[in-house]
Amino acid sequence: MSAAPAEIQLPSTDDDVKPDRPWIVIVWNDPINLMSYVVLVFQKLFGYDRAKATELMLDVHHKGRAVVSSGTREKAELDVFRLHEHGLWATMRQD
Amino acid sequence: MARRVKRKRGRFELHLDPRERELLRGLLGELRGLLELEAGDPRLARLYPDAYTDDPEQADEYRRMTHEELKQGRLAGIELVEASIEERVLSDEQLTAWMQAVNSLRLILGTMLGITDDDQELMFDPEDPEAQTQALYAYLGGLLDEIVDAQLEAL
Repeated sequence: MSAAPAEIQLPSTDDDVKPDRPWIVIVWNDPINLMSYVVLVFQKLFGYDRAKATELMLDVHHKGRAVVSSGTREKAELDVFRLHEHGLWATMRQD
Repeated sequence: MARRVKRKRGRFELHLDPRERELLRGLLGELRGLLELEAGDPRLARLYPDAYTDDPEQADEYRRMTHEELKQGRLAGIELVEASIEERVLSDEQLTAWMQAVNSLRLILGTMLGITDDDQELMFDPEDPEAQTQALYAYLGGLLDEIVDAQLEAL
């Protein structure tokens, strides 16, 4: 990471510029996708380890949904798309 | 029952009866036909979910942007599976295409059967007009389970 150029001095009033609230990606329970398949998809798409992917899958199964990723709107849309490619019921909204 | 999908040195052995391969070949043709149905066909609902639940306008926009790409990806996947339908050993990429195609078929058949509960027990009655669909759904579930287990072992 490079140091910030000296000429860019942010005004001290910059605290009223709030970063965008992140977008969250939610996977909803559905009665057809296999539990093992959902674990595999979470591991492959998001790089989660088995424990984390299993925990998320069980949240989906028992609580009806789980937040599986978050970030910019573009990232959320891409994640939703990849989940849809795998036939999972995923939606997104701003947190 | 002996396992049909075995991981071996980074690849996957597929022990399928010729009749199973023939069955799957036929189902792939049906899947291709189903993917050509109109976008709003209820049988395809689970393949193209809404991305936004609380904003119909955004949901429509997302659908317009992604529907064709999702469909073309699925059609390309079917071609990969058809090209390897007689293979005894599959690459990770090929097995992933098999997995996606089998899962898409299950999603469509499960939707047609009206499956709405987790762990729903399907009562199999050969006289039932849906008996064949139920049998296929159960068969594909077993095969998918084995494909997924082999892939999970590889992670």
